[in-house]
Amino acid sequence: MAKKILIVDDDPDVRMFNVSVVEEHGYTPLVATNGEEGMQLVKDEKPDLLLLDVLMPRESGIRLYRNLRTSKKYKDLPVIILSGIAERSFLRSQKALAEFGGATVPPPNTYLEKPVEPEELAAAIEAILGE
Amino acid sequence: MILTFKEPVEPMEIRKLLFVTKFEDLCFDALRSLLNLREADLQHVVFMNVVERDKVAMYRGTGYRKSEEVRLKEKANIRFIDWAEDLFEEGLEVGVYLVVGRLVPQVIKAVEKEEADLLVVGRSPKGVFKQLYGGSDVTELIRRASVPVLVFKHLTENPKDLEQPFARPLLAMDWSPASLRAVEYLTRLGKVIKQVDVAYVAGDDELTGSTGMAIQKMRKERRRQLDEICDQLEAAGIRAESHVYVGDTNDEIEMAARECQSSMIVLGSSSKSAWVERWLGSTPLSIAEDSAFPTLIIPPDKG
Repeated sequence: MAKKILIVDDDPDVRMFNVSVVEEHGYTPLVATNGEEGMQLVKDEKPDLLLLDVLMPRESGIRLYRNLRTSKKYKDLPVIILSGIAERSFLRSQKALAEFGGATVPPPNTYLEKPVEPEELAAAIEAILGE
Repeated sequence: MILTFKEPVEPMEIRKLLFVTKFEDLCFDALRSLLNLREADLQHVVFMNVVERDKVAMYRGTGYRKSEEVRLKEKANIRFIDWAEDLFEEGLEVGVYLVVGRLVPQVIKAVEKEEADLLVVGRSPKGVFKQLYGGSDVTELIRRASVPVLVFKHLTENPKDLEQPFARPLLAMDWSPASLRAVEYLTRLGKVIKQVDVAYVAGDDELTGSTGMAIQKMRKERRRQLDEICDQLEAAGIRAESHVYVGDTNDEIEMAARECQSSMIVLGSSSKSAWVERWLGSTPLSIAEDSAFPTLIIPPDKG
């Protein structure tokens, strides 16, 4: 059975791009448009990998990422962050949140700055899910 | 009947704010001046830019200009990413809305979807048509929003002077349910407020009586009522002073804000219908539109 990759992004163009890369490499895409929907699909569908945007309406990628990393059940779910936000800023945000009393969470498995080339995304996916 | 501030009120916090910008009216320095709300539990900032439909509408022979929509959205997105990086590094959560449509309905929709606690907007110049027929987008937003609306205005031209709208607000009281709710709102912001000046403007019609003593009695009674509000604020650890003014409400509120060196004017929103407001005027809307000071309008309790 094909492994499942959950794509969480509010931008329909980006979702479409990610879905095509995921399908082209033999994986099954699942799609959510914000963090809340994403968390629900994590629970319902148990994906093998998450492609996560950061800036989204409702619940942002940061909240979802931290919820996963602080959850006993999902803390090991591999996450590729795909965002226009610089990796440096993302990592500093995690540090700042920890300073404000939040949990210290490890960095994502991979961080890719948008826009990404299909080969770059495919290579990142393969590095995590490839046999 | 004069209501007291002990009426039950809906709890209000500022955990999430929606910052609506056209960029020419509000920039990051305005948002930065609000970041001390972090001390009052602000955790999440949502940016919003609405591309007005006429900017991408169909032109004869060209159809809907999709590429223009993409260009305008990405232009806004680039700015928001830069702002978001700054906020992320301070440990805030950030969201973004880039939409095409009419500003007011889109903003109201986003306020509801995000369950925002505070809506921040800039003040755009009004055209003659809008002045005559129903007011600007700001007026419309204040009428329709179910959450407090901060109409941001810069008090200084110097970008190096960090403004703090919540530092020293002037609370204009009229004992309406919304203004009592404003009292409750401010009591929850003790960590960011240094002092509240509570003011009441008596109209000429209140100066009844044929002797000076009779008129002074009115002042004394209003002052006593204002002092009760000050007591409530001081019980929440906020320094408060009461002031009674007499004359035209809008002019006197503006004067009070100047005399108190206020950082912002706070008012409860009017309970008049839009139709009545259009003909008789509304103090909160006039102050929001015309005052030099940032203006925070608190709506009445939804319940």
